Amino acid sequence: MKSKRVLIINRGEIAIRVAKALNELGHVSVGVWTDNETEPPHLEFCQEWVHLKGNNNKDTYLNIPQIMDIISEYKIDGVHPGYGFLSENREFSEALAKKGITFIGPNPDAVYKMGAKDISKQIAKEAGVPVVPGSTGEVSTVEEAMKIASEIGYPVLLKAVAGGGGKGMRPCMDEKEVQANFEAVKREARSSFGYEGLLVEKYILNPHHIEVQILADKKGNVFHVFERECSVQRRHQKIIEEAPSPFIGTDEKLRKEVCETAVKCAKAVNYDSAGTVEFIMGEDKKFYFLEMNTRIQVEHPITEEITGVDLVANMIKVAFGEPLDFKSQDDIKIQGHAIELRICAEDPKTMLPAPGKIVGFETTFPTGIRFDHCIYPNFTITPDFDPMIGKLIAKGFNREVALRKVRSALDGLIIDGIKTNIALHKVILREENFEKGKYSTNYIGTIKPQDKVAEKESMESFMIKVAGIEMNSEVRP
Amino acid sequence: MRYYFINQEMKEFSLDVESKKGCLEFTVEGKSTPVYIKTLAGKNYFSFDQIKWQKLATLGVNETLVSNSEVYKVFRGFKPSGLNKGGAGALITQMPGKVVKLMKSVGDKVTKGETVLILEAMKMENEIKSGADGEIKSINVKEGQALDSGFLMVEIEEA
Repeated sequence: MKSKRVLIINRGEIAIRVAKALNELGHVSVGVWTDNETEPPHLEFCQEWVHLKGNNNKDTYLNIPQIMDIISEYKIDGVHPGYGFLSENREFSEALAKKGITFIGPNPDAVYKMGAKDISKQIAKEAGVPVVPGSTGEVSTVEEAMKIASEIGYPVLLKAVAGGGGKGMRPCMDEKEVQANFEAVKREARSSFGYEGLLVEKYILNPHHIEVQILADKKGNVFHVFERECSVQRRHQKIIEEAPSPFIGTDEKLRKEVCETAVKCAKAVNYDSAGTVEFIMGEDKKFYFLEMNTRIQVEHPITEEITGVDLVANMIKVAFGEPLDFKSQDDIKIQGHAIELRICAEDPKTMLPAPGKIVGFETTFPTGIRFDHCIYPNFTITPDFDPMIGKLIAKGFNREVALRKVRSALDGLIIDGIKTNIALHKVILREENFEKGKYSTNYIGTIKPQDKVAEKESMESFMIKVAGIEMNSEVRP
Repeated sequence: MRYYFINQEMKEFSLDVESKKGCLEFTVEGKSTPVYIKTLAGKNYFSFDQIKWQKLATLGVNETLVSNSEVYKVFRGFKPSGLNKGGAGALITQMPGKVVKLMKSVGDKVTKGETVLILEAMKMENEIKSGADGEIKSINVKEGQALDSGFLMVEIEEA
């Protein structure tokens, strides 16, 4: 296969991950730098460096005309978008297609169909995939709400059409609660969103976020690479992911059903790249389609660790019409367990972002650890980007071993100068429910491990900091 | 050598350290604690008992350091004057950010907890609230301005 010139239109750890895969496959990795990030660490792994002019994302990573100009000037054959930015932008993938440039991702039609919530749900339904039961449109009277609720069964959720971020929704356990809450949710919807339309939906108690990795080629072959569980979340964003799911556990029948359902979803939109089908699963193990992410995801490494399948390399190969590394579904097997911790520049108690400059960084890890990151001493984390700065991934023979390894790795991870959620991860990894693998998406909200993080560390830890400064060559030449 | 640690609320504490051969001797509240140091293959290690050794991250001098939720400005051998000014009436950035919207002008009356401006950092908007009842004395920022940590944005004259 002829070497291709591939532009990575992303930054941070994912740009490094993609560059590594491109280099390994014998392609030319072309990385970018911008005016608000002139020394990005990802360029270490890129063979060619290109200036993307501008000092905010709108002018740089989201600027399709400038990116198209770079593509012509540097004779680029393909583009990898990473995650975020233009990874799920139909306009961008169509602009590339028009110029005959390979977009390393799914076809624009699949991006469009899975990108629109109502369309994707309709497609899932038509493919025979369960979606969360509820009213098909707005519900205007309390009688109508009660009628629908009794049809789909209690508990139900009264939810503002315009709602989001946990506002304008209330769970109702029975008919009485629907009667009591209907007007209140309406009022809340009107005051918070200026629109009082309500929906009735089945309320999933203690739900689990289960997602299935898909890998498909351009010839219509669609495979699953098993599931991940991402139920530890804050602000609806994941902070810890595991594969395989501890909730599905040894229920191989359920695992097969979830994974095959995901393949059905992907096939329904002629999916032809790496992607993820997300489900919500209740305590009763019934699961419903949420959405499909048509990109490589942050948490892809845990799937790579338990299956040995290089998702990023395969994604690149299929985009250029090459075959996948495997031939059949049976070639892919789970071996062991993997856990990923997202290391974020944020307060470990409030979980709010906290940019700043990293002034100290050291690692001492056990075997079985993979650390995908973009951290180095003197690296400034600016407010322009997402607070995630690295992903600590542990692979073990089983969940217990993976936990042991990731705890040890966390003790050996020192980052100073910025607040990080390392202290929060330390609490979670020793918390009873998490240790047992018994947690749902309500974990952070109900168990509140953040409250057990100490405001600050011991006096000895400050002595160690001073020792770290005293050993600086500026102090001790 | 005296080290000063000053946190977000301008609360401070200090640590005295004396450099000896292979050891840093700390004195805190009259009690002395030795921290032993060794360099191995270009990396530094520390120990409290000369038995258990752990890797030491070399840190910058006169920088911001963090302990869980606490952020400290650290000063080696000196304490800058003027750092203690302000109090509840000084709105200082706790993190770098961009001013999205100014809600008040110079001369406006404010009450404690009232939003004075909105600062955007990492895709999130943060309401910066007045720490006291009073009147806006000065505004040192403009909408759209990017700010570093520790910047005095607004001064409020306490009533």
